Amino acid sequence: MEETRQVQGTWDLSTFKFRIEGEGIKNMLKEMKEAKLLGNRCHKCGTVYLPANFYCRKCHIAIHEPAEISDHGEVMSYTIGYADVRGNPLDEPRVSLMVKLDGSDTWIMGAGEDMKPEDVHIGMRVKIKWADQRVGNLQDMESFIPE
Amino acid sequence: MDKKVAIVGFRMKSAPDLVTTRERLTFELTRGLFDDLGIEREDVDTTIFCTNDFLDGRTISNCFLEGPAGCYMRDESKVEMDALNGLMYACMRILSGQYRTAMVVSLALTGYQVSPYLHIEYQLSPIYDRQMRLLNELSAAALQARSYLTRYGYSEELLDAVAVQALSNAAANPYQARRIPGVSKEKVASSSPYYEPLKELHCYPPTDGGCVLLLASAERAKELTDKPVWVLGMGQSIETFYLGERDLFRSPSTVKAAKRAYELAGIKDPKAEVDLAEVSALFAHQEPLLAEALGLLEEGAAESSYQSGDTAVSGKMPINPSGGALGGHPVSATGLIRAAEAVRQLRGEAGENQVGKAEVAVVHGQDGPCAQQNAVVVLGV
Repeated sequence: MEETRQVQGTWDLSTFKFRIEGEGIKNMLKEMKEAKLLGNRCHKCGTVYLPANFYCRKCHIAIHEPAEISDHGEVMSYTIGYADVRGNPLDEPRVSLMVKLDGSDTWIMGAGEDMKPEDVHIGMRVKIKWADQRVGNLQDMESFIPE
Repeated sequence: MDKKVAIVGFRMKSAPDLVTTRERLTFELTRGLFDDLGIEREDVDTTIFCTNDFLDGRTISNCFLEGPAGCYMRDESKVEMDALNGLMYACMRILSGQYRTAMVVSLALTGYQVSPYLHIEYQLSPIYDRQMRLLNELSAAALQARSYLTRYGYSEELLDAVAVQALSNAAANPYQARRIPGVSKEKVASSSPYYEPLKELHCYPPTDGGCVLLLASAERAKELTDKPVWVLGMGQSIETFYLGERDLFRSPSTVKAAKRAYELAGIKDPKAEVDLAEVSALFAHQEPLLAEALGLLEEGAAESSYQSGDTAVSGKMPINPSGGALGGHPVSATGLIRAAEAVRQLRGEAGENQVGKAEVAVVHGQDGPCAQQNAVVVLGV
C-alpha cells in the first residue's frame, strides 16, 4: 500500500539581509527630489544606464560618468491589469507601462494615469508626473501621463 | 588526460566580511583575471557559475551575475555544488572540442549572515532529522569527529595538531580570511567549545570570498601563459545524505573519486607520486580523514604523521600548505580556491608556504553534510 502524507515545514529566510549596490540608486533618488533623473554612461560604448550601474554590461569595464536623463519618453510595452497576482479583481483596470526615457538606453516601469486602457499603445509619448512634495524616494515618481 | 586542458589564470579573495555585493565581487575578480591575461570577455568561450541559492537568498542565483562576470549574451551554465565540480564541468566542455576557453566563477558572502552554518540544516531529511532538531552542520561534524577518533584510537590532541598546522599556514597566506598570528596548541584547545569534541578553531570560520579560474585547451593555453598547470585527472562520487546509513569514520566516496582521478592521471602510488594536497576539510578531523581516503596518509597513522611534521609545508606529504578551509570557507568556492592554491604551488608562487618539490598536486572539494559528495582533481606541471 502506498501512502502519501503532507507535513508542515518551515523555510527560514524571512529575515534575509541583501547587500545591494547603493550608489546608483542613491544618486538617482537624490536628484529625484529636484524632479530630475540621473543615470550613468559607459565612456567606451556610450550606453546609458538608469539607475546607474557600476560596470558596463557590454564592455565589462567599470564606469563612472554621470548622465542626465529626460523625464519624457516612449512606451516600449504595456499591460492592463484586471486582477492582482493572487487573483483578486481590481476596482479599476490598472495600466502598467515600460518606458524608455529620452537619453537612456534602459527602460523603467511605472503606472499609467490619465489614459484609457484602449488608448494605450507602443510608441506612445509620455512624461513623468512628479509628486508635489518630493522626499527622495521612488514614490516621487507618481506615474506616467500622456505628453 | 594527457595535457589537454590547462589552468591558465586565477583570481581569488577572502575575508571575514568583505562589505561588498555579489555583483561587485564577481566584477572585481573577473575583470582582474582578464587584465592579468590581457584578454577581454569575448575571449571566454563559456562560463560556469557555482553559487549556493540558499546563501544568496535568490533562486537560480547565477541569473544576476552574467553582467558582472562578462558573459552577457554569451554561453553560460551553473553547478549548484562545490566549484571543483564546476572545474570538472569546464574541463569537459573544453574536451568536447566546442570551446577553447572556459571560466569557472564561484563566490559566497556568508560572513555577515546571522547563521552561517544554517544551510546544511536544510539539506537534512525534513520529516525526521529536521523535526528532531538535533542535527545541524556542527553537531553532524562532531558525530563524524568522534566516530573517527574512536575508530583509530586517536586522541583529541590530533584535532589541535591539525588546526595548529592549518592555521599557522593560513597566517602566512595573504589569500586567507582567518589569519591568527602566533597561533598555538593552547589557543586552539582553549577556544570556545561548540559541539564536543569540536571547538571554534577546529571549525571553518564564516567567510566572504570567491575565486575565478580560466581553463584553456592545450593550444590556447600556450598563447595565454608561460606557466600552464595541466589537469591530469578528475573524479567524483556521492554517498547518501542520511548520516544513519554511513560509516562516518571514513569516506568511501572520496576513495572512489580519487581512484578515478589517479587512473586518468596514470598515478599508481599516490604516496610516492603526489607532492602536495589541497583538501577541503571544513573541520579539523576531516583533514586526516580525507587525506587517508585520498591514499596520501597510512590509514590509522594520522596522529604520528601530524606529530612528526610529515604533513607540514616542509614535510614529505604536505597537506593544505595554504592553510585549507580552516583559514576560510566561502561555501561553494572552497574547492576552486584549493585548486588555485595548488596552482600557486605548482608555479612556485606560494611564497612562505611554498613546498620544496611541487610537480603533482591533488585537489579535493566537498559538498553536503559530513562531506557527502566529493570531487578530486589531479593537477601537474
